[in-house]
Amino acid sequence: MLEVKDLRLYYATRKGVVRAVDKVSFTLEKGETLAIVGESGCGKSSMAKALIRLLPRNVHTYDGVVSLDGKNLMELSDEEFRREVRWRQISMVFQGAQNALNPVLKVGFQIAEPLMIQEGVPKEEALERARKALRMVGVHESFADRYPFELSGGMRQRAVIAMAMITNPKIIILDEPTSALDVITQANIMNLLKKIKQEREISYIFITHDIALSSELADRVAVMYAGQIVEFTDAEEFYTNPKHPYSQKLMASVPTLRSDKKLEFIPGAPPSLLNPPPGCRFHPRCDKAIPRCREEEPPEVAVKEKHYVKCWLYA
Amino acid sequence: MSGNGYLLEVKDLRKWFEVRRGIFSKPLWLKAVDGVSFELRPGEAVSLVGESGSGKTTLGKTILLLHEPTDGKIIFKGEDVTHLKDKKKLMWYRRETGLVQQDPFGAMPSFMTIYRILEEPLIIHKVGDKKEREEIIYKALEEVRLTPVEDFAPKYPHMLSGGQLQRVAIARALILRPSLVVADEPVSMLDASVRVEILNLMREMQESRNITFIYITHDLSTTRYFSEWIFIMYAGHIVERGPTQRVIRNPLHPYTKALLAAIPDPDPENRKRFRDVPPGEPPSLIAPPPGCRFAPRCPVAMDKCKKEEPPEVEVEHNHFVKCWLYV
Ligand SMILES: Nc1ncnc2c1ncn2[C@@H]1O[C@H](COP(=O)(O)OP(=O)(O)OP(=O)(O)O)[C@@H](O)[C@H]1O
Ligand SMILES: Nc1ncnc2c1ncn2[C@@H]1O[C@H](COP(=O)(O)OP(=O)(O)O)[C@@H](O)[C@H]1O
Ligand code: SF4
Ligand code: SF4
Ligand SMILES: [Mg+2]
Ligand SMILES: [Mg+2]
Repeated sequence: MLEVKDLRLYYATRKGVVRAVDKVSFTLEKGETLAIVGESGCGKSSMAKALIRLLPRNVHTYDGVVSLDGKNLMELSDEEFRREVRWRQISMVFQGAQNALNPVLKVGFQIAEPLMIQEGVPKEEALERARKALRMVGVHESFADRYPFELSGGMRQRAVIAMAMITNPKIIILDEPTSALDVITQANIMNLLKKIKQEREISYIFITHDIALSSELADRVAVMYAGQIVEFTDAEEFYTNPKHPYSQKLMASVPTLRSDKKLEFIPGAPPSLLNPPPGCRFHPRCDKAIPRCREEEPPEVAVKEKHYVKCWLYA
Repeated sequence: MSGNGYLLEVKDLRKWFEVRRGIFSKPLWLKAVDGVSFELRPGEAVSLVGESGSGKTTLGKTILLLHEPTDGKIIFKGEDVTHLKDKKKLMWYRRETGLVQQDPFGAMPSFMTIYRILEEPLIIHKVGDKKEREEIIYKALEEVRLTPVEDFAPKYPHMLSGGQLQRVAIARALILRPSLVVADEPVSMLDASVRVEILNLMREMQESRNITFIYITHDLSTTRYFSEWIFIMYAGHIVERGPTQRVIRNPLHPYTKALLAAIPDPDPENRKRFRDVPPGEPPSLIAPPPGCRFAPRCPVAMDKCKKEEPPEVEVEHNHFVKCWLYV
């Protein structure tokens, strides 16, 4: 359904060009959830913004192919994209959105806003649908008439999810939808997202730095490192048998509650995207690196059907 | 050490904050820590776990006398330090205790070099001369593996990564060789791949120096790797405490059970099942519900729970729980 190819988003800064998203490719099927995992600053939110085309002013490069049901969205003008795609087909729950609600507008009105603005639905009808959306996410509809500060963190997050769903999009991008919430509230939100997924044929792109949490929703997983996708595979493969050395180490660093294992860590820190290392971007931290890794960028290798690894070990 | 072998004894400790809704309204009390008791021996490490707002930071800071205790007692090395007024005694307590804060960037003065940051506590406590201080600082940097030390000492905080800066924070908290350290969510701002490294480092230093260590975290899954004891906090109370493995394998309190049920391990089966967690969120600490504070969310609450606060009972050796189910 969604096919992304060689997507790039670079930012221009005083210090140089930040290559936040650097030739990223993946696919997403209808009703499927793709989890995008990676450490802070690796470009997850930038990729989301590139997909929904909400770009900051300092864009340096923005290109590639994003095709939805066979249509290349990159060829649309900003106006066409705004009218036809954003919210209607692809919507998004922004990182920290529950704290970015407008404090002086009632919750119901804010949920209804995309309907009124995007689809020109009359106010009364939009508000009615907002109340319905609130019920759907497990918040009593009377909260539609309250202000954001009157809602708890978990309820605000549900409201933000209602907002992303109200236009009935095909794809919802969830950028760290629970990272500011407590674990029990987080589990409640995951239950909600699972329920919505069961009831409607919706696709999620679920962005998170939390590997364990990603397995709550993921059918497919893309691992991002320094602006690139280094592994792309099924959930079954990824959580039991990751192939890329970075994915393997990352998995080994996740503390577990129910099984005993010795935890590992990755020495050093992720590289700057201003000036990423030549060759494989992971090579300064990789204990399997071979001389070639320092010079040549590894290709994306299909190690199996629908399992891609960007690493010289498999080339 | 006191005669009973404890380094730290906390007895029915309370910290209430005064809050005012408007200038004319009468003050209300926010009961952030509301009757907490426990003991720790020298060299014991405990994880203090709870949701945000449950009172972990307040408890840690009150124990370190960074907040004035409202009620209860803090006994350190057999001495009642609850309301230390004597300046010399207070200096002694500061020297004996250390704090590692959550946000490594916020906790470091940006205009000071790493060297100055580490030298400051030594100067305040009049440790050594200039030469001796240099030795201590270089050794401290080496211990937290910021090497070559000559490279790191002249740097400013913004030149370091979060993980490196958290090492500086650890070095600073330990530089006066304290016997009690509180680390408040020391790794929660760090990336998964470096978190374990910092936890290992803290654990190593805790063990080799026999430090009594209170590790505050909202992340239950890291506790097993760090401490032999675990305390579970909910709405200003410790609701369960005991040996880490026992509490994780055999949780008794319904809140602890919910907490454990909420946490996923990486597993492709997770997406096919729902998590068995109670709805709702923690109560207000200004007007907490009467009786058990978890009662409004507890799946097995009884009538009594909504009226009377449950006592803390020792269900098995060293395993305490504050719940009517076990009375
Ligand atoms: N508008 C911008 N101008 C310049 N650089 C930017 C801009 N937005 C983001 N960056 C940089 O791009 C890189 C990727 O940022 P991004 O927010 O996409 O990461 P992320 O993976 O979402 O991180 P996190 O897990 O912290 O949310 C970072 O180095 C960030 O500092
Ligand atoms: N200085 C303060 N003044 C008033 N309220 C405070 C203060 N510090 C903390 N609180 C309140 O005390 C409660 C417990 O907070 P805290 O100890 O920071 O919890 P935790 O560390 O578990 O997240 C919260 O409701 C918080 O808002
Ligand atoms: S390409 Fe080389 S350096 Fe990169 S992950 Fe593979 S082995 Fe390691
Ligand atoms: S005392 Fe009652 S309400 Fe509280 S946790 Fe125990 S059973 Fe539940
Ligand atoms: Mg982000
Ligand atoms: Mg805190």
